[in-house]
Amino acid sequence: MTILQAFLVGCVSGLSVIEGKIFGECKLREPVVTGFLVGLILGDMKQGLIIGASLQLIWMGAVAIGPTPGLDIGTGGTIGTAVALMTNSGIEVAMAFGVPVSILMQFLDTLIDTAYSGPMHYVEKLIDLGNQEKKIAWVHHLCTIIYFVSHAVLTFVVVFFGNSMIEAIVTNMPAWMNTGLGGVAKLLPALGFALLLHLLLEFDLIPYFILGFCLAAYLKLSMVAVAAITIALAWIMFQIKSSQKTAVETESEEEL
Amino acid sequence: MSEIVNAKYGITKKDMRQIYWRSFTLLGSFNFETMEGLGFLYAIQPTLRKIYADDEDGYKAACHRHMAAFNMTVAPSPLVMGITLAMEQMAKENENFDVTSINAVKVSLMGPLSGIGDTFFWGIFRVIACALGVSFASYGNPLGPFVLLLAFNIPNFLTRYYGLKVGYSNGTTLLTSLQKSGAMQLFTYCAGIVGVAAVGCMVASWIGITSPLAFEISGNVIEVQSYLDEICPELLSLIATLIIYACLKKKIKITRIILAIIAVGFVLGVTGVIA
Repeated sequence: MTILQAFLVGCVSGLSVIEGKIFGECKLREPVVTGFLVGLILGDMKQGLIIGASLQLIWMGAVAIGPTPGLDIGTGGTIGTAVALMTNSGIEVAMAFGVPVSILMQFLDTLIDTAYSGPMHYVEKLIDLGNQEKKIAWVHHLCTIIYFVSHAVLTFVVVFFGNSMIEAIVTNMPAWMNTGLGGVAKLLPALGFALLLHLLLEFDLIPYFILGFCLAAYLKLSMVAVAAITIALAWIMFQIKSSQKTAVETESEEEL
Repeated sequence: MSEIVNAKYGITKKDMRQIYWRSFTLLGSFNFETMEGLGFLYAIQPTLRKIYADDEDGYKAACHRHMAAFNMTVAPSPLVMGITLAMEQMAKENENFDVTSINAVKVSLMGPLSGIGDTFFWGIFRVIACALGVSFASYGNPLGPFVLLLAFNIPNFLTRYYGLKVGYSNGTTLLTSLQKSGAMQLFTYCAGIVGVAAVGCMVASWIGITSPLAFEISGNVIEVQSYLDEICPELLSLIATLIIYACLKKKIKITRIILAIIAVGFVLGVTGVIA
């Protein structure tokens, strides 16, 4: 890996993090995107996309909801894909590096978010001073810039200086290690879908979960087919429920 | 020349565009104390300045007001910004206006709008966008990332644009009427139907945990997986998902769950129970 490639991979990682800061969570962090970019930089776009797609499935449910930062799938995906491409290996290696990195970086993000309450008090002072709009804006932007630089530099260091170390680890990995990691790779996507269920599922909605599962498991219908069927169903439910509501309303009006 | 949106304060379409673009940086200075507070202030500050052009103290008070803790899903946040500015104008015009109601409205919107926003943007749009992206990228098609970004960002950009517009012009009346009629809840519920069914479908088609275990009993090879398939295809994937879901329900920390999955998955993988 050349220094330029390592630098660019670092930038991908930085970009994937500030996506959620200043680009309105536009999803540059998703492994399909970072995998594509890392693949382009390292000269194997196709493999980058394939690894990105596998990591994407693992992190399908990696959602950041509420004030706590979620898994740092941007940095994790970037480093995971880069290591796998550097060592000509597959998803097992990408996962073995990407998953721990995404967890470790989550801790770093938590740390930074804690430290950032300091500058907020400075902004309160600036407001009292008056006419400090430019400085206030800069405090806001500097917070983002620090995020970009810290993640980009860390990624650069890992993929550039960690190169030989990583290769040694990967080539000396015993077979049982591989089958073990294969098992982890199979189980982890279940976490993603469990997280989604946790987000969406209410007691009333359980029948639709069963329906979606059965349509795909027994009838082998595609995602699009299941989506079309359930949209139709949701539409029907909307009509039934809103007509029920108006019926109840007119009834109570008649009583009056 | 920019079109005038509010003649009294000289607020133009250009100002609205500025809020729109600045709303993308909402999380830029996220912190655990004020969360998106500074991001919110940054987005509306130039317009606040115009509203309080002749009232320095009012302006400072308003700035402090919007530094207060604020946190919500980012895509619908311009709606709150629009409503907030409409209320700030009311506050400027009417001395008896209770300014604490501005933050009260912001806080009261955080919960429900985040709930809806999370369902749509994290639960539905992201899942659909990623699913489309994966379906291209998994065989190395470079369309994957572009399809993903487009599928997610078209609703993202549109929600912001119309949210700001509707929030500012229809102001406070909008959400109370929607909430009163109950249409918002019903709409979210029906969206949940599609979302939950999509998760069920993905559990069945995308996890694919199988067991390579096989026993030989008096010359007959018994493959565990074929028996499992008799009961229900993709049974192991379903069980794994439901166990993890149960852990989440019990409010076990995600990092712990991940560590447990890594440990369990590794052991099951090495021993050849799952593959």
